[in-house]
Amino acid sequence: MRGNLVVGGALVGLVVVTALVSLLWTPLDPQAVDASVRLLGPTSQHLLGTDKFGRDVFSQLMVGAQTTLYVGIVAVGLAAVAGVPLGVLAAMGPRWLGELVMRTSDLVLAFPALLLAIMLAAVYGASTLTAMIAIGVATVPAFARVARAGALQVLSREYTLAARAGGRSRWWIAWRHVLPNISGMVVVQSSVSFAMAVLAEAALSFLGFGTAPPTPSWGRMLQESQELLAVDARLALVPGLAIAAVVLGFNLLGDGLRDHFDPRLEARR
Amino acid sequence: MATRRSALSALASAAVLAAPLALAGCTAGSTAMVGTGPSTLAVGLTAEPQNFDFTTTDGAAIPQALLYNVYETLVKVDSDGEIVGGLAESWDVSNDRTVYDFQLREATFSNGEPFTASDVKFSIERVQQDWTISLKSGMDVVDRVEVVDDRHARVVLSRPSNSWLRAMTTRIGAMFDPAGVADLANDPVGTGPYDVESRRRGDSIVLTRNPEYSNPESPRPAPGYRTVVLKYYADATALNNALLSGGIDVISGVTAPDSLPQFEADNRFRVLQGTTNGEVVLAFNNRRAPLDDVRVRKALTYAIDRKALLEAAWGGRGELIGSMVPPTDPWFEDLSGEYPYDPDRARSLLREAGHESLRLDLRIANLPYAVSSAQVIASHLKKVGVTVDIEPLDFPAVWLQQVFTDADYDMSIVQHVEPQDITTFGDPDFYWGYDSDRVQRLLTEADTAPPREYIADMREVARTLSDDAAANWLFLFPNIVVAKNEVRGLQANQVSESFDLTGLRRQGTS
Repeated sequence: MRGNLVVGGALVGLVVVTALVSLLWTPLDPQAVDASVRLLGPTSQHLLGTDKFGRDVFSQLMVGAQTTLYVGIVAVGLAAVAGVPLGVLAAMGPRWLGELVMRTSDLVLAFPALLLAIMLAAVYGASTLTAMIAIGVATVPAFARVARAGALQVLSREYTLAARAGGRSRWWIAWRHVLPNISGMVVVQSSVSFAMAVLAEAALSFLGFGTAPPTPSWGRMLQESQELLAVDARLALVPGLAIAAVVLGFNLLGDGLRDHFDPRLEARR
Repeated sequence: MATRRSALSALASAAVLAAPLALAGCTAGSTAMVGTGPSTLAVGLTAEPQNFDFTTTDGAAIPQALLYNVYETLVKVDSDGEIVGGLAESWDVSNDRTVYDFQLREATFSNGEPFTASDVKFSIERVQQDWTISLKSGMDVVDRVEVVDDRHARVVLSRPSNSWLRAMTTRIGAMFDPAGVADLANDPVGTGPYDVESRRRGDSIVLTRNPEYSNPESPRPAPGYRTVVLKYYADATALNNALLSGGIDVISGVTAPDSLPQFEADNRFRVLQGTTNGEVVLAFNNRRAPLDDVRVRKALTYAIDRKALLEAAWGGRGELIGSMVPPTDPWFEDLSGEYPYDPDRARSLLREAGHESLRLDLRIANLPYAVSSAQVIASHLKKVGVTVDIEPLDFPAVWLQQVFTDADYDMSIVQHVEPQDITTFGDPDFYWGYDSDRVQRLLTEADTAPPREYIADMREVARTLSDDAAANWLFLFPNIVVAKNEVRGLQANQVSESFDLTGLRRQGTS
């Protein structure tokens, strides 16, 4: 389905553009507190109204996109950089090493990412960095598994057997054949993991273990709006929809990319 | 004088008033199976007691549930902060203010034993000998207790003390029966109108009317409700929903002030707002540069618009105070106008102190009122060139270690709920790092001074603290009670340690 790719790409693109624009410009200072304009509905000056501190919700939403992408990129990057080599190593190295890597990753996988993040936050203090590291570490096994499965597939192909028969070293085979052939799967996994990282960051900030105030974060916007649900649901709706849109975007993008990299899958549908 | 540890207990109890946010989306989770009907009252609270023994367990949760309801004291504080009779019908103080003669009321413990003067002697001596919580130091001043006759107890102090009688209104004044202290953690025995019937951990405590009060010949009026269920909710939204869905009749203290309009607009409910002893304080580390410079502290006080802060952070509910004194203390003086919002003055004070720009950390308790206040403060201080790094610390454990114990902070925010905790400024080792000979001398003199000088001395302490900008008192935490219309007799102010159930009754009953 090309539609997935287009819709997903558009949603993700929108967030990326918003984040980039907010680096240079926001309608108002997202951190400026002004008690005289608190809890306003949408006006021409405040497109999405103001929160209980009198801050501009639209500006916060824009800057919050930065936090979201930042966390996603670092967490997923960390997971991919650590997970992919581990997975390839597990597939190509000695049997005991493969077992060790995969059993360890089972262990990490069994441990809830949020709990890990809360533990880290308790020890090192709540910050965006600890949240990213925790989410990244918890996502490593997903990449290791994908990379290992892909590598095993590639290793059984004729061209790798030929390379091996030709006396090429393991590293050469890994570099020339395995990595290029699993890159598509890694990209797909990144997109899916990105969506999960966004959700995890929002959850952590909601619980007060993520991005520290006053840096805007969609999760904390949700948390601050919680007690106002019955009074002004708009404040919860805005960041909620933003999170939903990003997660949907990355999931659709992941699906679309999978179809793109593996056309046989699409044919089977 | 509050010791270091007693203040710690007060801080821990700050968690009670603003329990941290629990997991999202919980709804009313309490499921106590008790009969509901006109004679049953269900009260929603936030912090649950770990056990029933406040003689060895710190924290505000146990006395909140048991004091005045299950255990009674010789004297108690009414909602205006005045000391009134409890188990003591009346009392006389000798001219040298060291001998207190208490005339006792007739009362019976829930185990059937009568309450007599020897129980007073037993209870007071037990505080000195067996209690382990830090507040027991309030009883240090007692030299001996004499049993004059069954209805007359005499307490002799080793020196005059202005704080002792008031301390007797707190948990340390609770009266016990020698036969009833075997298993305090699970089976409290008191003279109060209620007796603990059952408890479900993590959920609720059921109190039923002490049978002695049902006796028509009982000299004391029976409480309005036969059964009271105390239900505990860690999450403010869950607590609100429980009242909306009819699971409870009263919210003992609302910690989500912006959610109140939904109750105010609903004619099924009544909202009462009063004062507490809880000062929300922006603490300055008086010992660490640059905050050891009074000009910097004054600048930071001028730079924060506290009226706007209260509005933004706590929905405008609460009171502005200018020192460590709630309006219900006898030496209260309105000092809230001492540092009017004046960013220009703040900037010039900072310049005078040699700081064109400053970067300070703000290590706060990870609690709603602190996180909200911190964001307003960061925004206000930015306007005078002070950059604030907010670090929310897990409360109580991490905050207590880093800020309270190690005093490793520039600024912090926490609520101090202990009654008369102004005395903490007399302890130079307290985390304020405030070391003033004048304040220490005044506080020591005040406790033994004749009552009139006592008030004057304490007033002077409060004023000195304000002049020194020893801290920035952001606001006094409000007590917000929401109840169904038919619940009558609720108090707006929360100045004792107890959530007093004794005066509550259903509308239309007497």
